[in-house]
Amino acid sequence: MRARLHLAALAVLLAASACSAGSSASVSSGPGTLSVGFTAEPANFDFTHADGAAIPQALLYNVYEGLVKLDAQGRIVPLLAKSWTVSPDRKTYDFQLQPGVKFSNGAPFTAADVKFSLLRVKTDWTISIKSAMDVVDHVDVVSPDHARVVLSKPSNGWLFSLTSRLGAMFSPTGVADLANKPVGTGPYEVASRRRGDSIVLKENPAYWGRKPAYSTVVLKYIADPTALNNALLSNGIDVISSLTSADSIPQFQGDDRFTVLQGTTNSEVTLAFNNRKAPLNDPRVRQALTYAIDRKAVLDLVFNGRGTLIGSMVPPTDPWYEDLSGVYPYDPAKAKQLLAEAGVKNLNLRLRIPNLPYAVSAAQVVQSQLADVGVRTTIEPLDFPAVWLKQVFTDHDYDLSIIQHVEARDITTFGKPTYYWGYDSPRVQQLLAEADSGTPQQQVADMKQVARQLNTDAAADWLFLYPNVIVAKNKVTGFAKNQVSESFDLTGLRPA
Amino acid sequence: MTTLTPVRNRSLVLGVVLVALVVLAALVSFVWTPYDPVQVNAADKLLGFSAEHLFGTDKFGRDVFSQIMVGARTTLYVGVVAVGIAAVIGTPLGVLAGLAPRWLGEFVMRVNDLVLAFPALLLAIMFGAVFGADTLTAMIAIGIATIPSFARIARSGTLQVGSSEFVLAARAAGRSRGNIAVRHVLPNISGLLIVQSSVSFAIAVLAEAALSFLGFGTRPPTPSWGRMLQESQELLTSHPRLALVPGVAIAVAVLGFNLLGDGLRDRLDPRLAARA
Amino acid sequence: MTVRVLRRVAILVVSLFVASIVVFLFMAVLPGDPAQVALGVNATPELLAKTRAEFGIDRSLVTQYFSWIGGVLHGDFGRSYVTREAIGPQLLDRLGVTLWLVGAGMVVALVIAVPVGMFAAVRHRKPSGVTVSGLSQIGVAIPAFLAGIILVQIFAVQLRWLPSGGWTPPDQDAGQFVRGLILPALSLGLVQGAVLTRYVRSAVLDTLGQDYLRTARSKGLLPAQALRRHGLRNASVPVVTVLGLQLATLLIGAVVVERVFVLPGLGSMLLDAVSSRDLLTVQAIVLVLVAGVLLVNFVVDVLYTVLDPRLRGS
Repeated sequence: MRARLHLAALAVLLAASACSAGSSASVSSGPGTLSVGFTAEPANFDFTHADGAAIPQALLYNVYEGLVKLDAQGRIVPLLAKSWTVSPDRKTYDFQLQPGVKFSNGAPFTAADVKFSLLRVKTDWTISIKSAMDVVDHVDVVSPDHARVVLSKPSNGWLFSLTSRLGAMFSPTGVADLANKPVGTGPYEVASRRRGDSIVLKENPAYWGRKPAYSTVVLKYIADPTALNNALLSNGIDVISSLTSADSIPQFQGDDRFTVLQGTTNSEVTLAFNNRKAPLNDPRVRQALTYAIDRKAVLDLVFNGRGTLIGSMVPPTDPWYEDLSGVYPYDPAKAKQLLAEAGVKNLNLRLRIPNLPYAVSAAQVVQSQLADVGVRTTIEPLDFPAVWLKQVFTDHDYDLSIIQHVEARDITTFGKPTYYWGYDSPRVQQLLAEADSGTPQQQVADMKQVARQLNTDAAADWLFLYPNVIVAKNKVTGFAKNQVSESFDLTGLRPA
Repeated sequence: MTTLTPVRNRSLVLGVVLVALVVLAALVSFVWTPYDPVQVNAADKLLGFSAEHLFGTDKFGRDVFSQIMVGARTTLYVGVVAVGIAAVIGTPLGVLAGLAPRWLGEFVMRVNDLVLAFPALLLAIMFGAVFGADTLTAMIAIGIATIPSFARIARSGTLQVGSSEFVLAARAAGRSRGNIAVRHVLPNISGLLIVQSSVSFAIAVLAEAALSFLGFGTRPPTPSWGRMLQESQELLTSHPRLALVPGVAIAVAVLGFNLLGDGLRDRLDPRLAARA
Repeated sequence: MTVRVLRRVAILVVSLFVASIVVFLFMAVLPGDPAQVALGVNATPELLAKTRAEFGIDRSLVTQYFSWIGGVLHGDFGRSYVTREAIGPQLLDRLGVTLWLVGAGMVVALVIAVPVGMFAAVRHRKPSGVTVSGLSQIGVAIPAFLAGIILVQIFAVQLRWLPSGGWTPPDQDAGQFVRGLILPALSLGLVQGAVLTRYVRSAVLDTLGQDYLRTARSKGLLPAQALRRHGLRNASVPVVTVLGLQLATLLIGAVVVERVFVLPGLGSMLLDAVSSRDLLTVQAIVLVLVAGVLLVNFVVDVLYTVLDPRLRGS
């Protein structure tokens, strides 16, 4: 009996599969449709539980909206909040909400949803950046279109964090199955998905704001950079959201079908040092490694010189940016000298990286350059995200790693001694706290000091800032040059 | 044994030559390569064919010729270990299945079929998921997946030899099974096993290349032909040379071992050779 | 013959059972806590414990195995820890893509191998036949992914005749579906076709050497005619065997080709699941692939019995 069941199940499975290959989205390819290629596919639609950039990239500002958003210049501008005021003690925020906003499931958006969404971060979210909401003391529903948020202390970072996924507005009626059925107030809703292939966004007919130019947007997920390039070259997609390798840029530039846009991102490609672990707990050793690496050559080899040398954890789009890239010029002799001073010989380090193209490329260059000063490294590519997140990020089981830190203003992570950097500096922690609670002017001054201190301590080696290289067919326009938010904002795109 | 037609002979000769080429490259790489194969050099990136860099340089300015030489070592290393595992485990199993009572032989072969259901690539991906992928997991996986083919060949060879007069005589004389296996069976099936080794070697080379291509094989920076191919993909339009060179290297190795296997088979199987 | 087939069925069932245990145990030793993977690094211990209970991974391995295999027998593969979706429907969908690919690849392989192999056999002493078998040797030596990369470069990127990858379901746009399948099927099928060509050639050569064909030819039939009238069935026996073995190879080879052509099949699902440590999904895919290979071998064995006149008699 058991055997028959088993066989029957398999037979049914095989038969069903033969005719089920089509149960998916129907994608029309009319003029109202846009097809955008990405490399990293979201595992599901729930960014409250899963770290990583892929989900907000697809959903934020497109499906979910917050009270405020970041515009293309990196300024905080109104979205679901029509306007807001801040009390003199900078602890109370009064938000006037847009009237007539509905969630895609039909539920109206009111101040009660603001309260629900903001408080939910503390109780239900598990991702690493959720601590930015800890400062919220309570939320009052003054009237349906007036929400008041009271912070326990002044925080410059808080309003900024509302522009990220942390500020996304949910409806109590729409959180039952966040992983599969996102419900937001945005201009698009998720129409269908074919895992391993694409997500189809369709225009939300009841959207409160300006109607998007494309009624259907297909987000195509192609992990392999070459295959992604080929899809655009062979007219399979219209846009590559961000090139992951510069080798193919000349090919696109030489083809009059395409426009290549280059801007900056928030994404620092960082050689992380495990600051807690000997001998990397000795600043001289970290400085030695920083001197030993020719970041200009790294950038040339890994990204054809496109991208920016930064020298600390600050992208040029932040108000406290200073160019610190010249502090540690490439100087192998100095590196050897510092290593000798620190009494370190025959150093053998594990370079544990995510198994992603940019990291594998950069690791080979770093390894070769470190070998020149007598530091041996073993490259260990780990499956990303699962294994890298577990072993390096969570368990701190590494000496060196290379990864992009994509979150905006993630310099604040150096204020957390438990973060995988293992960097513990009371001065930096104090400066960060002051910057957050001080006036905006003081914030800029303090943050500059933080960036310089990190550079002096060689807390990490910021290899380069990842460039934002968008390649699009000429018929599509309206892209933001710089990628400053977590979202690939579709709302500005339009036919040329 | 004596009358080999020119065509067949040619495949043996060509096979020996190609395999020798790969082996030579690997051996020489231990004592000499034109450049350090992992030395990154920004100034020399993407150079074409030249006297200084015979096969040019890659996007990191590394000498491709040196990488091919050391890559040959990786290829042979994987092949030798994988085929070694398969032969050392598969052969005794096959011989045992051939000499043992019928039911035991059947049982061994059914287990063998079960192993056959876990192809090399699948096993390597599973191993990679558990232990972290590298050359070692790749070759062990390929080795395990190759066991069944050795066991099959060894068993059918043993069955043939087992019914021959001298084995029957040895049995009648009360020799133990182990004794018979070592003294009579193994020497007589060694030819078959050598042929199988050569063919399996070719398959192992292909499997390693595919795994490195998928990121489940040799780790960077150790040169591997499969990974060289994968890294060169994006430069296919502008620098097809970078894909061509490792592609040809893989083809040479696979072709070499296949031809060697074919040639040896004809030499050792007079029935086929006489007719061809 | 019936007894033989029945025996074979029994062996199949036991093999499937053992294979399922092997797959389960293998995945059980995977490092990493699925609950941790699903919840990220900031999960509280209570939430982790709750999620472990929800996933059922706080139970003993034996209980877990039986509840898993019990579900599988009813077509329920469980719910993924990472995507929070039911695995079964996803698996079916992906399997559909892979089967199309494998089927089309097999057709390509056969279309190449049968005529070319017979040609090479019939003319095995002539230069044309020798050239053809030489070419097939070279074909065997080229990895399928390399063939794929080259085909994409020529037909998609340079000529823009065919898509470079991606998948269009047949019921959505049949024309686009076929166009999208051509290059993947070719890269999978060309190499397998080369392998198969060599088997067809030697099988036909074997048959040509048989007495009854010599007789036929002595009656004035050309080798090709004699073969058509008398020998094909016999030549097909070893070819079917190899074909079966190759079907298994194709199923696995599809993993690589799917990567090159970005096809949402079982292979890409497997690689994604491995990199996100989606344990239950990996387990399900491996089981399906292994069961597929076992089934194919079973069918080949049965066909062998049916086709081979000597075995049919017994």
